[in-house]
Amino acid sequence: MALSQAARQRIVNEFIPRYPSKRAALMPSLWLAQDEAGWLAPEAFEEIGELLDLHATDVASVASFYVMFHRRPIGQTLIEVCENPSCYLAGSDATFQAICKRLGLHAGHDGHGMQTTADGKYSVRPTECLAACDYAPVVQVDLRFHGPVREGDVDAFLADPSRFSIEGKPSVSMVHGPQATPVEGWEANAPPPVATA
Amino acid sequence: MLASPVRPTLAGRGWAMARTERRHLTMTQTPASQGAPAEAPVQHGPGQPLPWEPVLMAAVGRTDGHLLPDYLVRGGYKALETCTSMTPEDVIKVVTDSKLLGRGGAGFPTGVKWGGTRRNPGPRHLVVNADESEPGTFGNRYAIEADPHGLIEGMLICCYAVGIQKAYIYIRGENLAGAEKLEHAITEAYAAGYIGKAILGSDGFDVDISVTRGAGAYVCGEETALMESLEGRRAQPRIRPPFPIEVGGGLFGRPTVVNNVETLMCVPHIIRRGAEWFASIGAPACPGPKLYTISGHVNRPGVYELPMGTTLYDLIYKYAGGMQRNQKVKAVSPGALACQLLPGTDLNIQMDTATLTRPPHWHPPFGPVGFGAGGIIVYGEETDIVQVVARASGFFARESCGKCVPCREGTHWMSDVLGRIAHGHGRPSDLPLLEDITRNIGGRKTLCALGDFSVNSVASALRLFRPEFEAYVNGHAPRAHGYGSIPVAAG
Ligand SMILES: Cc1cc2nc3c(=O)[nH]c(=O)nc-3n(C[C@H](O)[C@H](O)[C@H](O)COP(=O)(O)O)c2cc1C
Ligand code: SF4
Ligand code: FES
Repeated sequence: MALSQAARQRIVNEFIPRYPSKRAALMPSLWLAQDEAGWLAPEAFEEIGELLDLHATDVASVASFYVMFHRRPIGQTLIEVCENPSCYLAGSDATFQAICKRLGLHAGHDGHGMQTTADGKYSVRPTECLAACDYAPVVQVDLRFHGPVREGDVDAFLADPSRFSIEGKPSVSMVHGPQATPVEGWEANAPPPVATA
Repeated sequence: MLASPVRPTLAGRGWAMARTERRHLTMTQTPASQGAPAEAPVQHGPGQPLPWEPVLMAAVGRTDGHLLPDYLVRGGYKALETCTSMTPEDVIKVVTDSKLLGRGGAGFPTGVKWGGTRRNPGPRHLVVNADESEPGTFGNRYAIEADPHGLIEGMLICCYAVGIQKAYIYIRGENLAGAEKLEHAITEAYAAGYIGKAILGSDGFDVDISVTRGAGAYVCGEETALMESLEGRRAQPRIRPPFPIEVGGGLFGRPTVVNNVETLMCVPHIIRRGAEWFASIGAPACPGPKLYTISGHVNRPGVYELPMGTTLYDLIYKYAGGMQRNQKVKAVSPGALACQLLPGTDLNIQMDTATLTRPPHWHPPFGPVGFGAGGIIVYGEETDIVQVVARASGFFARESCGKCVPCREGTHWMSDVLGRIAHGHGRPSDLPLLEDITRNIGGRKTLCALGDFSVNSVASALRLFRPEFEAYVNGHAPRAHGYGSIPVAAG
């Protein structure tokens, strides 16, 4: 059985009543199944389908649409490096490559964009913008935000990611209210204003 | 250091309300209310301090800002109480009068959306769009983290005004911390009687709120795709009409309000301080406080709460600390990757929905430059625009849902061609080919705006930085670049 008894109960008693249609409980059910097993096995699709009156293929077709649902086992720790422009400008490619190198992985392709170390400890893949661009380059470890992780930080980062955690931290510059005063001496470094086109 | 007279400290936040009153007066005396023409641009050139105090970000810096007791100290749920003594129609009128435009990207007037939904038969639903996945935007994430009760109060006011019993928050799967904060805040609010049955003792005002997590698909930010995902399907946008506010078009087939997090967070403040106050802040056509998020080559990337219509020049130099290594601005993505690039010579432009969606910021056949959700990416002179654009088109190709042909085929084709150019294997004929592809995807040929988004940066870069593309395809690429060594994120 892919789903534990507790998970089944949660789906039936909590998720299904939350929505007007049974089918809508699918997203939280998939998350729950994945949180339990680390990935979504074909049996999980069948068991969720039985609970929600859906065909297993239907369940799989939804799960495969979303990149965060894993249809293959992954490493114990999932490291995802943002590769979108703000992080790219801050050197995320170098960070990604350094992480791969350090873990003995190719910084290249593999079937589904994810690589796992031989000992099954880590899986690494690039990801899209994580909405934390002020801390670029941003790296998620098991869905927890970390940044900035530069190329030179990779050893320290892998040794203890928590040092780079940004959760609960305010933005790099959270400027508002009385603080929304200009940076002191900003005129000295600014070019003269240009005419509006 | 910052030249602020009062630094927000934990103990000293009592000033907030008193200060609010004083600031309120300053703010209503904008040029607009002094009899100047209504369309007068906001003036805050060099040296002119902004009359500004935190509105959306008032909770930042308070250790327990996200918890209910702190929210109540800050006057929380008072606006909801005020609303319950008004008729729903009056609440909608206040929101309409405030001229609040949706902050999610499309910039639709919120009051009009609410009024339209209310006219359609119940049951109706509210969906909060917390999917925020547009590269370069991160305001919602901080807003949720700092002030989840501010969002819940906004939602409850919407539910009261529109007559809604069920509200759903859809948050992107990557933002696990945000989902946890929201779950916690919802539990607190249920326990205190702000959510549930007979809220604030008013008969028949029942609302249930739940959180649903996405699982990594940018297109879920599109409102109809979001509803598909909430219903347990693949997130593929629906054909409109029927529109979400209509029967058959919304969530579970019911009339539905879809609003962005920031939009709803403005609402309690509008009720508390009045539509006039809100309408007097910043750009007259789309007023209010705005969470600008700046990233890229600036010294101080971050979230900046400033009046709508702050100029790009002020944002970059006055607030974000200027450019790294003092380089010049080469280009700016004013509304994150989905918008067209602005040249670095265009910095005096006001950053607001109205300015960026009308001429001269309109480039047929591709439409307006666009403001999106106000995520600003600043590219300095050292940026290789070809690499950035190749990356942007790779993003849209991976995120295309595949429902319509121009987007499904075109984005991948565009990304392949740009990838080959960026690798140094481009041909001169690739540039007209790219232009041809952009014209065949862009210009409202697709079911949702993702198709248009995907061509915006490509088409504008070809217009603004053509010599750089030519250098690449003629074998003079600035450097052999490792683009493409990065594998594609896919399920
Ligand atoms: C591809 C695409 C992605 C979008 N992503 C988001 C998003 O992440 N967050 C958001 O609030 N709106 C997003 N939108 C806009 C929504 O469709 C919708 O207009 C908005 O949520 C309405 O809320 P508002 O009226 O409060 O702005 C997106 C639109 C498109 C076409
Ligand atoms: S434009 Fe793209 S993302 Fe939008 S519906 Fe069409 S294929 Fe899907
Ligand atoms: S671009 Fe990397 S977090 Fe936004």
